[in-house]
Amino acid sequence: MRFLICVKQVPDSTTRVKVAPDGTSVVTEGVTWSVSPYDEYAIELALEHKDSAADTVVSVISVGGPRTKDALRQALAMGCDDATLITGDGADALGPLGIANALKSAVDDLKPDLVLCGKQASDDDQGFVGPALAEVLGWPHVAVVTKFTPSTSGTEIWKETEGGHEVWKASGPAVLTVQKSAKDPRYPSLPGIMKAKKKEIPERSVAGVDDPVKIEIVKLEPPPARGGGKILKDGDTKAHAALLAKLLRDEAKVL
Amino acid sequence: MKIWVIAEKKDGELRRVSKELAAKAASLGDLVVLEVTGERVSGAAAATALAERAQADPPDLILTGATPSGRDVAARLAAKLKRAYLSECTDLAIAGSSIEATRAMYAGKVRARVRAALPAVASVRPNAFPLAEGAAEPRITAVPAGPTPGLTFVRFEPTASGGGRVSLSEARVIVSGGRGLKGPEAWEAVEALADVLGAALGASRAVTDAGWRPNEEQVGQTGKTVTPDLYIALGISGAIQHLAGMTSSKVIVAVNKDPDADIFKVADYGVVGDVFEFLPAFTEAVKHVKAGA
Ligand SMILES: Cc1cc2nc3c(=O)[nH]c(=O)nc-3n(C[C@H](O)[C@H](O)[C@H](O)COP(=O)(O)OP(=O)(O)OC[C@H]3O[C@@H](n4cnc5c(N)ncnc54)[C@H](O)[C@@H]3O)c2cc1C
Ligand SMILES: Nc1ncnc2c1ncn2[C@@H]1O[C@H](COP(=O)(O)O)[C@@H](O)[C@H]1O
Repeated sequence: MRFLICVKQVPDSTTRVKVAPDGTSVVTEGVTWSVSPYDEYAIELALEHKDSAADTVVSVISVGGPRTKDALRQALAMGCDDATLITGDGADALGPLGIANALKSAVDDLKPDLVLCGKQASDDDQGFVGPALAEVLGWPHVAVVTKFTPSTSGTEIWKETEGGHEVWKASGPAVLTVQKSAKDPRYPSLPGIMKAKKKEIPERSVAGVDDPVKIEIVKLEPPPARGGGKILKDGDTKAHAALLAKLLRDEAKVL
Repeated sequence: MKIWVIAEKKDGELRRVSKELAAKAASLGDLVVLEVTGERVSGAAAATALAERAQADPPDLILTGATPSGRDVAARLAAKLKRAYLSECTDLAIAGSSIEATRAMYAGKVRARVRAALPAVASVRPNAFPLAEGAAEPRITAVPAGPTPGLTFVRFEPTASGGGRVSLSEARVIVSGGRGLKGPEAWEAVEALADVLGAALGASRAVTDAGWRPNEEQVGQTGKTVTPDLYIALGISGAIQHLAGMTSSKVIVAVNKDPDADIFKVADYGVVGDVFEFLPAFTEAVKHVKAGA
């Protein structure tokens, strides 16, 4: 079995994201970059299968500029077998369907049995590229997946819904968009990091990719400031509890 | 301006978010409310059925609720129609031949105003638009969907503690617990409070990772983003990844024994104290004030 995981490089989850002076981008100076969190969960799910079925091949792919190689090396260091970078002029500026089309051409060549994406990337928070890739491939997709079990008759896929999981079966190739799953993504091992450093990362070009949709950022701002709230301290917690209930009804008007 | 709202039902009732969207769409243009019907329809199959209809009678804007299935259908449908998709919007406006939307980016750390050419598809968060009390139910047209090539539904696996409560993404009130609650036993008291408030249950990742509560209750960067009127954080420290999921709540209440806990920096109301002392007293107090005392 071959899994292909689409990974996006984003600011690390601990980054305090700051809006740049132009008001339409974020400050990238001093940012630590990482594989988007749900993509890391996707890698973990695939590597768990590799742990139990040694003939599994786990490939990763990313569309982006030169810096994106670091995300691919991070994935290799976690234990992925090979990585491909789709890059070139304008790779960083591609719209969501352009990214999907660029990924499709690589999927056509690499012929994975399953493609895994994150549920959403933690920079644009869209959740568009996964279903879009399935669409351009003409494959089914299952979103918000927490678990899957491949077998010779197809793949059982657990999709998180309200109140439980829907279990679906894909008879052939499919795109899964991965939700946080049971096991936290593994850390790169030291030998893994050494090996990843030496791995060749083949490149493909984004030139000529069809990119029909643009989503323009008009303005970015920090979320409205909060705080300065009424904090009840020093004293009887039970009395505070009673006062709080009154405040929520009479002042905040939420009860 | 022709606007489609893809409605969703839960337990036979039109979801609140669908009603909110219908009311908003009617103020922006000509409203058509559609419901995809069929047994366990996949996102792909729903998108196929809707795209066929869109080809015959193209809308300018297609709206879904930002629920798990609404987002699923919207993304696939937009790709099928080769149109922009704006996810989890909290406000919408038509500007000439474009749509402008407000939405969170960077896991809630930035608020963005984005623009895309019409026709376009957008999913909208519950609670983004007001719903007039007693508003008339919109007329709904069924769009039957077929099976999905290569994909079949097998079974449903309910979460042990799942049933009965309002869903986290649509809840007006959320009671959320963190590691400060010490263990799963504490949720008896948390649920007692949630019952009195008609609230949904949330949790920090420390809690879902420890297996005290199911994953689907997690709030934050790798959990749900929630926008209730009232969010009550019990024994939650306020890590940046947790805050990402809940700082758009209208009113935030924090209870923590540590006066320096970061959660107080975003709280509208806070109690510095022991959560185990607070919980039963607060549950009783809420009962009282709700009864008009
Ligand atoms: C990539 C990534 C993604 C993440 N995503 C998420 C996410 O989606 N959601 C999320 O929540 N976290 C997420 N985290 C984890 C996050 O960083 C924190 O570890 C987590 O939120 C901590 O949970 P907590 O506040 O319950 O626990 P703690 O930080 O341990 O806080 C417990 C709090 O309880 C208080 N307390 C203890 N006893 C009492 C008592 N008796 N009475 C009152 N107060 C008490 C303490 O003072 C403390 O403030 C993520 C982390 C990473 C790296
Ligand atoms: N530039 C990219 N390169 C590779 N995969 C991507 C890229 N952008 C998005 N993806 C994949 O699509 C998922 C959803 O991204 P998004 O639609 O941007 O929220 C991500 O979690 C990745 O798996």
